[in-house]
Amino acid sequence: MLKLIIIHETRQLARTGALWSILALLVIAIIFAAWSGGRSIDRQVAGAQAAETFEDGLRNHMRADTEKYAAKVLAAGGEYQFASVRHAPGAGPPQGTNAGAVGAETSKFVTLPPTGLAALSVGQSDIQLNYLPVSLATTLDMTKNLELENPINLAAGSFDIAFVVIFLLPIFILAMSYDLLSSEQERGTLAMILAHPISIRKLMASKIISRAAVMLAVVLGFGVIALLTVGTALDAADTWLRFGLWIVATLLYLAFWFALAVLVNVYGKNSASNGTVLAGIWLILVVIVPQLVSMLATTVYPAPSRMELTIAAREAQTEAEKNFMSKLDEYYYDHLEFVPEGDEKAMDFLTLAQANNNSIEKAVRPLYDKFQEQLNKQEALVQRFQYVSPAIMMQLALNEISGTSANRYEHFLDQVYDFHDEWKEYFSTKFLQRYPLKPADYDDFPEFEYSEEPFAAVLARLTPSLLGMLILFLGVVLVPFMALRKYQVAAR
Amino acid sequence: MLEAINLKKTFGDYDALKGLDLTVNPGDIYCLLGANGAGKTTTINLFLNFINPTSGTARVCGIDVMADPLETKKLLAYIPEQVMLYGNLSALENLRYFAQLGGHDYTEAEYKGFLTRCGLQNEAVTQRVSQFSKGMRQKVGVSIALAKQAKALLLDEPTSGLDPKASNEFSELLIQLKNDGASILMATHDLFRAKQTGTRIGIMREGRMMQELGTEDVSHADIERIYLEHMHGDASRHAA
Repeated sequence: MLKLIIIHETRQLARTGALWSILALLVIAIIFAAWSGGRSIDRQVAGAQAAETFEDGLRNHMRADTEKYAAKVLAAGGEYQFASVRHAPGAGPPQGTNAGAVGAETSKFVTLPPTGLAALSVGQSDIQLNYLPVSLATTLDMTKNLELENPINLAAGSFDIAFVVIFLLPIFILAMSYDLLSSEQERGTLAMILAHPISIRKLMASKIISRAAVMLAVVLGFGVIALLTVGTALDAADTWLRFGLWIVATLLYLAFWFALAVLVNVYGKNSASNGTVLAGIWLILVVIVPQLVSMLATTVYPAPSRMELTIAAREAQTEAEKNFMSKLDEYYYDHLEFVPEGDEKAMDFLTLAQANNNSIEKAVRPLYDKFQEQLNKQEALVQRFQYVSPAIMMQLALNEISGTSANRYEHFLDQVYDFHDEWKEYFSTKFLQRYPLKPADYDDFPEFEYSEEPFAAVLARLTPSLLGMLILFLGVVLVPFMALRKYQVAAR
Repeated sequence: MLEAINLKKTFGDYDALKGLDLTVNPGDIYCLLGANGAGKTTTINLFLNFINPTSGTARVCGIDVMADPLETKKLLAYIPEQVMLYGNLSALENLRYFAQLGGHDYTEAEYKGFLTRCGLQNEAVTQRVSQFSKGMRQKVGVSIALAKQAKALLLDEPTSGLDPKASNEFSELLIQLKNDGASILMATHDLFRAKQTGTRIGIMREGRMMQELGTEDVSHADIERIYLEHMHGDASRHAA
């Protein structure tokens, strides 16, 4: 019996011209989204590669100079020396022997590798650069390409597949089911059907199942196509695991919209008013509420402006330059082991620069930390308020699944800061000891390798969003199904 | 067999049915007469379990409609004033769908047989029903009842708006079904048709059964007179 109605309903759907038009639009949207998402990830990867190649090239050039110099020293005899910054080019040891010069003038680009699904949900990765230059410069210099004032804009992201799933797929579902029951009622066929031995709940379930089957086919079809065209690392288990989660999240999200259509049909009146009510709910849940939550986050926890950070950095720099002598003294006081022998007040430019950087870092760091803290609080607030709209839950879930979430980025940044410290430690120590870098030392430079967070951590952050959507769905679906028990076909 | 026992239905503070007792035996065509709002459609909706009674019982072949609606619906066929079908399906596809919903299945030839037996032209069988006239749709409606092998039929003004020829053909079909032993309950405004086709007549007013008649016992003129007297509210002397 169920099967019979499901087949009938599916055939009815297939004969609805409007659905084919919407499906066609959806196909176009998904193709464009896949292209746009893929492009933005390609751009990131290409950018990271170009930057890395350039900086590695610089360092290799310096290394070649030291090799030449080493050969010369070996041939002519003499001491392998440390290049003072003020040495004229060509004469004496090259810059490549100076750890301070190598560490400050070349950067090591560190990269957050995109997951296989990154192109499906770009998230904020188009504004949060996934590659950063690490050098002896300050944290602020390192992150100046980051758009720190990035509003947690969950409503208007980039046009990626997540956008299509969150914004457009509900419209497809509502178009299929806004008149689930009301159309039969208006056509008069509801009475014809219910004069047969079939309960209205079974009828409703069959209608939902047939539409769910269409939806499943659409989601799986588009999902697999999207993954195959713009997904990467298709041979990795991680990618398929994430893809599985993607499908689960999408189905949960869409199930909610089905349930909503059922709810409105059970309590609603005619098809026109059902459609209007559903469109209104879509507007509120998908567009307005996420905007409000985003506004709430930025109002309750306003991040200090980027300008303040820059001004503070400038002031710190001016201050540092004004009394660099005392700063230098302070620095040496902190690092007595580095004071050059017999040169208590070395006026070396690089030492000075390093002392400067240090004081700037000290002055700016609290502001910077405050900034980060505010952003984290905003993020936390959005996480807390996600339950008011399935669209927010879904956005958070998809970002998490695609590895473009704020949390994964922070995990990356933490490693970058650690690496920054390691880099500074390595080069400034060698520099302050006036240790001449040898060609072989180039192989020992600190290397960065991003260590992925354990999948359990991703799951732990994903669970509240998925669970929230599940509970919302069950709540919305159970109410009408209980109410259907008392549904009267022929109200007076 | 269709039975209503002290059946009451209240919509808010409006009493649509005020204790109806009614029996339609196999081989009977029972015609419910009465003005709009007399409770005819409410009675049919109660037998179909489309609405729940406020009190009283409706039975189909001895089974309580409230207790086991799905079982009673296996025995019932319903032909509303407008037989509504899926416009984008052909007559045959519509019939097949509803027959299968009723738990039956036939060969394509058998489906065609039902439709032609009900007077649908051969070429209309495979046409989409969106262009069908009311008469043609009523024929599909009867063929659905035939295919369902219904023991009881509920008809709600099935012939209103049909031209005399179509109406006559419809009546012929009903008589065939009656002769096959079906219990038929038909709400109608057509006194002539009630006398011609029906075996018994019940006149309802404001939710009450005013009078029941056997069509054998009365003439056309009598029916009209008694009906009008009830409508004017002075027919108590005729009450059985």
